[in-house]
Amino acid sequence: MSDIQQYLLDYDRNKNEASATAQKSATRLSDGSLKLLTLIQELGEYLNSEDGATRSKTMAFLAEVLSLTPPKVLTLQQRNLLCEFLLSRTEDGEGLGSCAKALIALEERGKWDAGNVQKIIETLLANTTPLRQYKQQSERYPVLRLADTLMAKYRDALRSLHESNPDFLSRFIAYFDGEKDPRNLMVVFSILKVPMTEWSIGADAQDLFEAVFNYFPITFRPPPDDPYGITAQDLKDRLRECISSSSEFAPYAFPALLDKLDSTHMNTKRDVLQTITSAAAEYGPRTMSLYSITLWDTLKFEILNVQEEDLAEEALSGLATIAKTLSRGTDGPLNAYLRPIIKECNEHLEDAPTKQSQAAARILHKIATVSPNVINTLLAGVLPRLFTLYQAAETMAKRRGLLEVFVQFITADVEVYGDWRTPGTAGEQSASNALIQFREQALGILLSGLETAPVSGVSFRLVCLDGLLQLSKVRGLLTDEDIGKIIQLLHNIVIHEQSFGKDETKEAAVNGLVEVAYQKPQVVIEKAFPAFMAQLPDTDANGPKEYLTVLEAFAKLANEEKVFDTVMLRLKNKFSSAVSQNASSAYIVALLSAMLYALSKGVSKLEQSPQSSSYYQDIALPLLKRTSSTDSSHPEAFDNETTLDLVGRICNMVIKSQAADNQQAIAEQLYVLFRDEPQSKLPPFDLTAPSASNKTMIVSTHLLASLRRETRLPCEIELLISSLANYTQQPNLSPPIRSASLRQLSLIINKFYTASELKTCLDRLIGAPFGLFEPEKLDPFRIRIIFACLKGILLRSSPVLANLYPSLLSFLSHPKYGTMVAHGFSTLLQPDDLLTKENHCQISGLHKQKSFALLVPEITQSFRQANPETKSNYLIALSGVLKWMPFDIVMEEVDKLVLLLLQSLDLKGEDLVKEAAVATLTSTLSEKPHVIEEHVGSLITRLLTNSIASSESCEPPRVRAAALRCLTLVPDKLKLEVVLPYRRQVCRKLTPALDDRKRDVRTAAVKCRARWLEVDEVDDDDE
Amino acid sequence: MDLDKDNANPTILNPSDLPSRRQESIGRRRNEGGTGLFDGLIPQYNYLNDPFEQSALSSDSEDEVSEIIDEQEVYDLISSISDPEHPLSLGSLAVVNLPDIHIQPPISPFSSISTVLVEITPTITHCSLATVIGLGVRVRLEQALPPRFRVDVRIKKGTHSTDEAVNKQLGDKERVAAALENGTLMGVIRKMLSTCE
Repeated sequence: MSDIQQYLLDYDRNKNEASATAQKSATRLSDGSLKLLTLIQELGEYLNSEDGATRSKTMAFLAEVLSLTPPKVLTLQQRNLLCEFLLSRTEDGEGLGSCAKALIALEERGKWDAGNVQKIIETLLANTTPLRQYKQQSERYPVLRLADTLMAKYRDALRSLHESNPDFLSRFIAYFDGEKDPRNLMVVFSILKVPMTEWSIGADAQDLFEAVFNYFPITFRPPPDDPYGITAQDLKDRLRECISSSSEFAPYAFPALLDKLDSTHMNTKRDVLQTITSAAAEYGPRTMSLYSITLWDTLKFEILNVQEEDLAEEALSGLATIAKTLSRGTDGPLNAYLRPIIKECNEHLEDAPTKQSQAAARILHKIATVSPNVINTLLAGVLPRLFTLYQAAETMAKRRGLLEVFVQFITADVEVYGDWRTPGTAGEQSASNALIQFREQALGILLSGLETAPVSGVSFRLVCLDGLLQLSKVRGLLTDEDIGKIIQLLHNIVIHEQSFGKDETKEAAVNGLVEVAYQKPQVVIEKAFPAFMAQLPDTDANGPKEYLTVLEAFAKLANEEKVFDTVMLRLKNKFSSAVSQNASSAYIVALLSAMLYALSKGVSKLEQSPQSSSYYQDIALPLLKRTSSTDSSHPEAFDNETTLDLVGRICNMVIKSQAADNQQAIAEQLYVLFRDEPQSKLPPFDLTAPSASNKTMIVSTHLLASLRRETRLPCEIELLISSLANYTQQPNLSPPIRSASLRQLSLIINKFYTASELKTCLDRLIGAPFGLFEPEKLDPFRIRIIFACLKGILLRSSPVLANLYPSLLSFLSHPKYGTMVAHGFSTLLQPDDLLTKENHCQISGLHKQKSFALLVPEITQSFRQANPETKSNYLIALSGVLKWMPFDIVMEEVDKLVLLLLQSLDLKGEDLVKEAAVATLTSTLSEKPHVIEEHVGSLITRLLTNSIASSESCEPPRVRAAALRCLTLVPDKLKLEVVLPYRRQVCRKLTPALDDRKRDVRTAAVKCRARWLEVDEVDDDDE
Repeated sequence: MDLDKDNANPTILNPSDLPSRRQESIGRRRNEGGTGLFDGLIPQYNYLNDPFEQSALSSDSEDEVSEIIDEQEVYDLISSISDPEHPLSLGSLAVVNLPDIHIQPPISPFSSISTVLVEITPTITHCSLATVIGLGVRVRLEQALPPRFRVDVRIKKGTHSTDEAVNKQLGDKERVAAALENGTLMGVIRKMLSTCE
C-alpha cells in the first residue's frame, strides 16, 4: 500500500499514525528513495477523485509531507514547480487550507522572488475571493497566515504590486471582508496594518478604514474553553493600533468615534476614548490641528459631568495627548487649541468652588503637564484672571476653590520643571518657567492666606499650605530667603498656634516641614531648628507642658534623612542640659521618647554603617553609664521602670545594627553596665544585691536583645539560665523587672543555644532538684518560667516541643493552677517586640503551624474527656492559641473547632476568650462559611446574647461590638434561605443594642440591623 | 442624561470642613499638649505587661461611662446618605447640617420619648427630589435610632419653593407608609442608603 493510501485510511481514525506516515514519506524524499515526481504522481488519482473530502485529505498529506521534509532537500526548480502546482490547486474549493499550509512550508524552505509572491497573492485573490465563502475558520486561518507571512517578509514585492495596479488594494481589502473568527481577525488586523502604515493609500483610505472600523467596538467574549486564548483586550488593542496607524483615516475616524461616544454603554465609551487618545498620539500635529477643537468640545463633557471616574481619566489623557501632539508642531495650532480651553476654564472659575471648577482644575493640571510650552501658555492665560477673581472674592469658600485650581497648576509645574533635587520632564530649563512672573504675587497670596485666615478655616488654610509647599519645591523658583519665610510660617503654626479641631493644619505644617527638609535641608536647619530649640526649655521647673507638641514636631523632622543627624544631635544636647538642670522626670521621659522616635525613623541609616559607632559613643554609652551610676549624673527619672525601658530601647536601636566585634565590648558589660562592682555581686547572680540595682535588669534585657548570636555572653550559659530562673522567683520583684528577666530567659534560649544543645538545655531545669514540670511544685512563678522558656523554643520550631507541650497540656487539669496555665497559652504566639528577626532571634517560618499541630488537636481531644470544672480551661487555652494564629492555618481544622468556639461564648467573665472566639468565628464566616451553616441558629443566639448589655450579664463594649460585627457578616456569607428564618428575631432583638451606652457599639448595631433589614429584599433589579 | 438633573453643578463642601466628632482620646491627650506621636513607640504587646494579670486589665472602668446619643451622632447617621442625583453625600452637599439637627429631651420625667428634628436644605429651591431626600433621612433614622426617639424630618423654612407641601407629605404617617410600599421609590432610597457607614 502506498503512503497516501495508508494516510487516507488513518486520517479519520488516528491522527498520529497518519502523521507518522507523512513523516515516512518525508524521510524517503530526503534520502532519495522517493522521487518528488513519484510522490505527486501517486497523489494524482486521489486529487482527481470525485469525493471532495478525499481531495482535501490528499492536500493535507502533501502539506504535512512538505512541512516535515528537512531543508535543502528540495531544489529551487522543484520548489518552483511545486508552487505552480499548489497554486493551480487553489481553483479547487476543497483543501484550500492545506494548500496554504503547503505554501507556507515551501516558503520556509527557500525564499521566493518578487514575481512568485505577486503571482501567489494574485492567484489567491482571483480564485478564492471572498475568503468568507470558506465556512471553516480553520480552513481560512492558514490562508490568512500565508498572507501575513507574505506581508511580513515581502513588503516591497507587494507594495510594487499595489503601486503598479490601481485596483489591487481595493481587491485586497475586499478579500478579508466579513471575517468573524477572533483568531483570524487578529491576523487580518495585522495584515491590514502594513498597507495602512506603509503604503500610500489615497483613494482607498475610506475602504481600508471601514474594513477595520466595522468591528468597532469589540464586544467579543471568549468562550470558557477557548483553545486559542484570544481575549477581547487583544482584539481591542490590535484594532486600536489599526485605527491610529494612518492620519489619512482622521476624516472618517473622528466623526465615527465621536458619534459612538454618545453610546450609553460604558465599555463602548471607554474604547472610544482610548482610541481617540492613541489616534491623537499617532496622527501628527498637522492632522490633529484640524480636529483638536472639535475633540475638546466633546471630550470636556466627560470631565465636567463625570459618569465614571475612569472615563474622565481617559478623556483627560485624550486632551493631554492632543496638546502633546500639537506641541510637536508650530505654535499657531497649539494656541488655537488652548484658547477655548483657557476661556472655558476661566468661566468655571467664576463660581468656584463647584463641581465644574474642580473639573477645570483637573483639566488644567493634566494638560499643563504636557510640555513647558503648554504650561507657560496656560499659566499666562489663567493666572491673571484667577488672581483678580481671588482678590474680588467675598467668601473664603470661593477663595479656597480658586486656590485649589492654582495648586493643581503648581504641581503640574513641578512635574514639568522639576524640584530642587531632580529635574522635571522638560529637563534643565527652569529659567523659562512662566510661573516666575507670578512668583511674588503667588507667594504673597498664599502666605497671607495661611497667616491671616482664622484657625477655624481649616480647608482654606490647608490649601494655602499645600500651595506654599508645592511652590517651595519648584526648581529654581524661590530664593532661599523666600523658602525661609514659608518655613517660618510653618513652624510658627506648629509651635505657637492654638489647637483647633483635629489639628489638621498643625499636622500638615509638620509634614510640610519634613517635605521642605527633603528639598532644602540646610534652610530648614537654619530657620526652623533654632525656633524649635528656643521653645524647648533646659528645665521645665516653672513651665507648663507646652514643650510636648514642639518636641513631637521636632522629632518628626528626623523622618528626613538629610536632617536626621542634626535632629539627633540637638535632642542629645537638650537631654544633657535637662539632666544637669534637674528637669522633671516627665520632661526627661519626653526627651527620651523623642530620641527613640527619631532613631526609629532613622534606623535604616544606622543599618547602612554597622562599623561606625558614633551613635554608640555619643548616645548609648552615656545613657548606660547614667543608668548604673549612683552619683549626680543619674537622674531621678532613671529610677522609674518605664523610663529605663525607653533607655533600653534607645540603646537597642543603636547597638543592634553594629558588627559582632563591636558588640562584644557591650556583651561583657551586659550586667555590670560599667559599674565598679564584680558581676557576681549583681543581679541576677546575687539574690541579696540591694533592690535598687534590680532595676538595671530592664536595660540589660534590651542589650541582650540587641546582641548578635556570635557574641559571647559574660558568663557560662548554664549558670546564667539557672541564675535567672532563681532570680525571677523572688516574691519581692516588681512585675516589670520580673517580666524583663523572664524575657531574658526566652532570648538566651532562642539565640545562644545550638540546635543540639537545645535538646538537653532544659534538662537541668526539668530534672531534680529544680523539677520545673512537677505538678506538686507548680506555682505562679514557675508557670511564668515555663512559658518564658517555651516562647524561646517554639519560635525555633525545635523538635523538643513534642516532649514539652504534652506536660504543659496536662497542667490544664491542675486543680489549683489549671486556669492560670490556660491563660498563659495566649502568650505563646503573641507578637513580641524583643523576640524579633531584627534582634537576631531565630524565628522559623513555620513555627505557628508547628505549635498549632502540636496543641490544637490535643486540646480538642482532652476537652471531651475533661471533667466539667476544668472544661473551661481548655476553652481558654484554645482561644489563647487561636488568637494569634493566621486564619489559613486554622482553616483546615476549623470544622472541628466550631463547637468549642460556640461554647466559649457561654463562658462567664472570660472576655478576652470571648473576643478571640468571636474573631475566629468571624474569620470562619468569611473564609469557610459552610462550616458554620449547620450551627447558624446557635451562633446567632449566642452573638445576640453577647451583643446586648443587660442587667445580669454585661460583656465589655469591645466584645459587644465584635459580636455585632460578626452578626453583620452572617447574612453576607450564608445563603438567603438559611438566614431568612432568623430575620425577624434578629431585627427585634437588636433594638436594645441601638440604645447601648457606648457609641461604638451603637454604630456596629446600626450597621448590623441595616444589613439584616435588607435580608428579605430580594434584588430583582440585579444587573 | 446629565441635563435632566435639577442642579447639575452644586457647591461641594470640603471633608475637612464637615463637622466631626473629636476623637475622645485625642481630646484627652491634648490637655497634656501632645498629639500622642510617641504613644506608638512602645508596642501594645510588650513584655512589661504581665499576661497572667490580663483579666484584671480587661474590665476597663471607663466601660461604664455612658455616651448619650447627641446631634453629632444623628448627623453621622444621615450625612453619609448619597444624594439621589450626584455621587456625593448629603453632608458634603450641605443638605444636612449639624446646626439643623435638634434633639428634644423627654418633656416629663415619666416619659422616655425624645424627639429628633432634622431640617434639610435642598441644594436649590425647586429641587424636585426634596421629598425623596426627606423620606430617605426619615427611613434611615427610623432604622438606626432606638424606638424611644420620635423622628421629625422637615424642609428648612424658606429653602424650598413648596416647603410647606413637602413638610405635610413628610409628616403624614400614612402617606409615608404608602410611599414606602412603592417599589421604585424604595429602590431609590435603598440606593441612597447603601453608602451609609
